Amino acid sequence: MKFSNGFSLILLFVLILFTSLPTNASEYLQEIVRANDLYSEKRFTESAQVYESLIANGVRNGYLYYNLGNTYIRMGKTGPAVLNYIRARKWIPRDENLEANLKFAIQQTQDKIDLPPSGTLSTLFFWSKDFNLSELIKISMLLNLVFWITLALWMYFRTSPLQIARNALLGLLLLSFFSIGVKLVNKSDFDLGVVLAKRVEVKSGRAKDAVTLFQLHEGALVKISDSHESWLEVRLNDEQKGWVPKTAIGI
Amino acid sequence: MNRVHFKHISLLFLVATLNLLTVPQSYGENVSVAATVDKNHLSLEDVLHLSIIIKGTQNTPPPELPSMPDFRVISAGTSSSTQYINTQRSVSITHNFRLTPMNTGTFVIGPVRVRVNGKTYSTQPISIKVEKPSTQGATGLKNAFVEASLSNKKAYIGEQLVYTFRLFHRVDAKNLNLKLPFDKAWFSKEELGEPKSYTKVINGMQYHVQELSTALFPLKTGLHEIASSVIDLDLLYPTQSRSRRDPFGQFFNDPFFGRRTQAEHKVLRSESLSIEILTLPDGAPKGFDNLIGQFEISAEPGKSNLEVGDTTTLTVTISGKGNIRDITLKEPSLNGKFKTYPDKPEFHQTVQNNQIFGKKVFKFALVPLEAGNRILPKFSLPYFDSAMSQYRVAETQPIPLTIRPSSTKEELNLVQSGKQNVPVPKPEIETLGRDILPIFTKLEKFQNSESDTHSLTFLGTGFGSPLILFMLAAILIKQQKRMKHDVAYYRHRNAYKNATQRLKQMSSFEHSDAKEFGRVLSEILREYIGNKLNLQGKATTAEEVEIRLKESDYEAANMTRKFLDKCETLQFAPLASGSTKELLGESENLIKLLEKQS
Repeated sequence: MKFSNGFSLILLFVLILFTSLPTNASEYLQEIVRANDLYSEKRFTESAQVYESLIANGVRNGYLYYNLGNTYIRMGKTGPAVLNYIRARKWIPRDENLEANLKFAIQQTQDKIDLPPSGTLSTLFFWSKDFNLSELIKISMLLNLVFWITLALWMYFRTSPLQIARNALLGLLLLSFFSIGVKLVNKSDFDLGVVLAKRVEVKSGRAKDAVTLFQLHEGALVKISDSHESWLEVRLNDEQKGWVPKTAIGI
Repeated sequence: MNRVHFKHISLLFLVATLNLLTVPQSYGENVSVAATVDKNHLSLEDVLHLSIIIKGTQNTPPPELPSMPDFRVISAGTSSSTQYINTQRSVSITHNFRLTPMNTGTFVIGPVRVRVNGKTYSTQPISIKVEKPSTQGATGLKNAFVEASLSNKKAYIGEQLVYTFRLFHRVDAKNLNLKLPFDKAWFSKEELGEPKSYTKVINGMQYHVQELSTALFPLKTGLHEIASSVIDLDLLYPTQSRSRRDPFGQFFNDPFFGRRTQAEHKVLRSESLSIEILTLPDGAPKGFDNLIGQFEISAEPGKSNLEVGDTTTLTVTISGKGNIRDITLKEPSLNGKFKTYPDKPEFHQTVQNNQIFGKKVFKFALVPLEAGNRILPKFSLPYFDSAMSQYRVAETQPIPLTIRPSSTKEELNLVQSGKQNVPVPKPEIETLGRDILPIFTKLEKFQNSESDTHSLTFLGTGFGSPLILFMLAAILIKQQKRMKHDVAYYRHRNAYKNATQRLKQMSSFEHSDAKEFGRVLSEILREYIGNKLNLQGKATTAEEVEIRLKESDYEAANMTRKFLDKCETLQFAPLASGSTKELLGESENLIKLLEKQS
């Protein structure tokens, strides 16, 4: 009797955890509808303002960034368009429309710099690219729950299939933890930046009179490897790197 | 005996070691360096062998050669020798070089320096005379000679020229190394296949000929001299090792046993050739694109009678002699009556009589858009005919096409065994424009993703709760298992439950028999205590119960004994009516108290 009570508790927990919680949707969904309508009416500047105000108010959603990217493309602003598509990838990494539009936006830029290739860790944990951080966390939580339940069942029944399931789930759980780690490491190692200014000169040092190493144009994708006061160190590859003012780059 | 023998061996080792240690010092002091050549008088075709002999040591860095701009110097390795003459050991090392003369004249090979143990040794200078090779070569007196020729002494810019290099040799030639002299600023070149080998009789002498041809396309106008081609080779002369009288001589000179040969290294140079490269004359036709040679052009449609939407392939073939590889052809202008899909051109090159002949095939897939009789416009190819020294325009004939309206009948291919092999034209979809994909409008996609998964509460609950639940479950499972296997624990856990159940049963009916009531009440209490303390049997006395309870630190031990005494008394002295309920209540309270203290 007591055991069945415990099981009911676990079920209750699962229901609470994975049932979508009600959000304050009505507050901002109306704004999204308005922005989408403005976009349909080709009032792109107003549409972009509404999307931007939603983001400024703390709404974070991949499709919202995607729509904003589309709006900037229509306005002819490739820099903010690429930036918002890149931001959208954080939330909706598997979306085909997003990949297509990002490619299109990059083709519109003067420098046509493609997304940087994946690092060794990302190649090893290749699946982590297709999931956003929230999804990886939820997968880990689900595996965590199933693992502990399986462990409890194994403690009670002590059967061989349960032992195999327990070991497999432990392996998967550790793998999911590593995947989260890889996602976090990639996020912190190289933040991608996008040139927002029409043209920016990449300097050899953090001074306006430093030697100009090369020039980048609006929409160019760069890796940001360092930051110092009002300057950012950007790099295209191991050889081409330098400093640009923070104001010229969107992160 | 053994000890004496061992002493002898040790002495020998010592002497030998001392000898080895002292020898290098003795010969290290008598170092000498000399330079020798195999000849002092040679022609431009010959190779000079220079040897630097260092005696007295073998452990030296390579010798420092003087500057020799009139020779090409190639190292030919080193050889070392060690000799013992009357217990005197002498060592030497020889560095060999092969010097190829580049100019005629008298030259001095300056002193060669060798550093040994920090000391510099120099050789004596050597005087060498280099002359032009004998001009009697082609008459048959020479064993090998070369010649070079050009297909034309005058050529227009871009016109194909053929440069031919020939090596004539009467004896075997090995290790051929040819250097052709073309200046990239003046010519672009294209190989004309593999070298050819044949034999030719000159003045009654049979020569083996190796011939290599290269097509040259002049890039600049003006007078230009093509420098000599140079070939390095080893000529192999058979040697007569055995006397002609030797009966075995002829037998062993058979090629089966491998003839003995002597090699002679030669450097042969062809004559330099002059060429005048002319500019193209004025009056080039419209569309002329520096095409020089002789060309033909033809065009042929796949089918001349077709339907709207059907596909036909228009094949345009350009063939001829000249720089055909560079030809490009624009898509035909069809005034929107056809859709045109150009294919990748195919190029085939052949070499005939040392001339490059080529064929380039352009294919256009045509899809008619309107019905009617159409004439495909002719293709023109302006070029400069170098043989006739005039511009020409090669043209195709106009091609009539009959376009019928589309028959859009659909046929059910239920049974069409006869038509199975008919190729179905693959539809091609043309990309007309590019644009972004539309925005998302479904509102369920726009849930705010920021708040939920990144909060500590969510993470703590998500990852911590299953662990807590597991611990609770583990405790429960542990209890369950103990209940199964541990009798004392089982009795301890169920003692209170059993006792209260029995007391409830007693309270549900009237007890007229006080003796029986007292006995059962006493039994329930003793059973409870027996279960709690895991005592065997129920026949324990009130004194024993008190002792056991005290041992287990129950404070209510005395009270329990008194209650049991009361139950025993009850079995002998009848109880007043209504007192049974009080006694039941008292027993319930006592069990509750004992349960608390357990």
